[in-house]
Amino acid sequence: MPSRPTTRPDPTNLVQDDRTEGITVRELSKRFGAVQAVDGLTFSVEPGAVTGFLGPNGSGKTTTLRMILGLVTPTAGEARINGLPFAQLPQPARVVGAVLEAQGFHPARTARAHLLACAAAIGVPDEAVEHALGTVGLGDVGERPVGDYSLGMRQRLALAVALLGDPQVLVLDEPGNGLDPEGIAWLRAFLRAFAAQGRSVLISTHLLAEVEQAADHLVVISHGRCVYQGSLAQLQGSRSTRVLVRCADPARLADALAATGVLEIDTLSGGWLGVAGTDPVHVGDVALGAGVAIYGMVHERVELEQLFFQLTTDPWRAA
Amino acid sequence: MRVGPVAAPVRAEFRKVVSTRLWWGLLIPVALLSSTINLFGGAFTAAFDEAERLPLLLGSLAYALGLTSVFAAVHGVAAAAGEHRHRTITTTYLTTRGRAPVLLAKMLVSAGVGACYAIATVVTGVLAGTVADAGVAFPGVAPLAATALIGVAVSALWGALGAAFGTAVSNQVSALVALLLYLMAGELLVGALLDGAESRSVRALSSYLPGNAGEVAVYGIPVNEIAGPVTGPQVVELLAGVTSPPGWGVALVVLAAWTAVVGAVGWLVAARRDIT
Repeated sequence: MPSRPTTRPDPTNLVQDDRTEGITVRELSKRFGAVQAVDGLTFSVEPGAVTGFLGPNGSGKTTTLRMILGLVTPTAGEARINGLPFAQLPQPARVVGAVLEAQGFHPARTARAHLLACAAAIGVPDEAVEHALGTVGLGDVGERPVGDYSLGMRQRLALAVALLGDPQVLVLDEPGNGLDPEGIAWLRAFLRAFAAQGRSVLISTHLLAEVEQAADHLVVISHGRCVYQGSLAQLQGSRSTRVLVRCADPARLADALAATGVLEIDTLSGGWLGVAGTDPVHVGDVALGAGVAIYGMVHERVELEQLFFQLTTDPWRAA
Repeated sequence: MRVGPVAAPVRAEFRKVVSTRLWWGLLIPVALLSSTINLFGGAFTAAFDEAERLPLLLGSLAYALGLTSVFAAVHGVAAAAGEHRHRTITTTYLTTRGRAPVLLAKMLVSAGVGACYAIATVVTGVLAGTVADAGVAFPGVAPLAATALIGVAVSALWGALGAAFGTAVSNQVSALVALLLYLMAGELLVGALLDGAESRSVRALSSYLPGNAGEVAVYGIPVNEIAGPVTGPQVVELLAGVTSPPGWGVALVVLAAWTAVVGAVGWLVAARRDIT
């Protein structure tokens, strides 16, 4: 494992970076027989940021990524990378690199031979292979057949292939699978540095914790539909807190709070009120002014995990 | 269909082929078969009196070249369908612009491997034939070179056809079984059905099946040398199991046409296939 992510600032890339338009997905749909895998999906991936693509297993993430990459033909809609559909990119691997789940290797072929074949297809010099192997920390094991590799090593080899063409956009499908915690931390730092150069990263996962630490933007899908698109902070801010208060006269406190414009109030059992969209200081002040004795107050933080669950279990609610 | 920028994918396919054992794993039986068959060809020649000897080595070489073309096809199928089996096709499509150049590159590289198999067949075959009999009936350079070149062309075409077939079917085992079943039983069956027809022109169609076309092509020159222009075609009928065969040139064109047809099918299927 390399001690720090290697980034490749190169003057020619900096010029290219200015043209990066990321990924745009418009009304994308895919039907496999009777299964509507993706249903009118629209979102965009901005350059200079890591976009987390979140959804439960089977929600259509992999199909969406494969449509973006031209591997699966959409039933309707379109996906563009830097303004062009994948099939029209003059040198696709120089624009977008991908680490996909079912991306395979010939077990008897060495990692270096695999990369050399890819380098020939992309049209980059063979030296790029050594660089890519070094970047992902496989420099010493490049001569071993991939059949001997662990899942984590294969993930890193897939990343090496993705980086060969020095792309402006990276697409990763569940890259955490098979990586040890150290590997995940390394990947996170690598993606951050990659995005910091003005490039785009789209990373799919079904584990919220994975994007929580790595992503700036979030696209949440459920049953093939987009249920949230925006920044992580916005999502947390919009519905993260609620004040639970137990008091002598819930009805009077509720009226007093309503008079100050706080309207999202639930009456709970045992004399508790659930007050959303405010903070404990405001609730305490209002209670004092209304002469309602307070017996207890809890600042409830709705965990992102819970939000994610709410978003994805009922696709019609949060959209 | 975009086939212009095919140099990069050809290099990539070449590197894929030489980095696994498949190509030389098939080369070994090719060389062994050719040396055995042509050893017999030479020995059989030597069994006759010097005055009555015929250049039978050409015939055994043609027979070996016919078998070699099957190995060339097997290589093409296994290499192309192997990309689906090992799921490397995803990476291949992600690194190449368009799927047509990928198919074309696979066909070209497999054609090259097939040609190499045929060259190996000729080299080992001639060596074995020399060992068995270097006497007066050793075939002349011209018919030998012509037989070798036609054999190289037939194996190259079969290699390309195999790669296209493997791309179209994509399931490696199914594709290999289908290919071998067709060559060993299917074409005999179709040939027999055609042979039962009343009309001579329908019966003559059996020469235009891909396997028979390859055989007719490789046997053309040797049979002409051994049996002469009059009885030659009859010997080809016997050896390839066909009725009134065309000349070797027409047979080559027929095989090339089959290769183009299978290539077009492979392209149509590959262009529409979802890689999931």
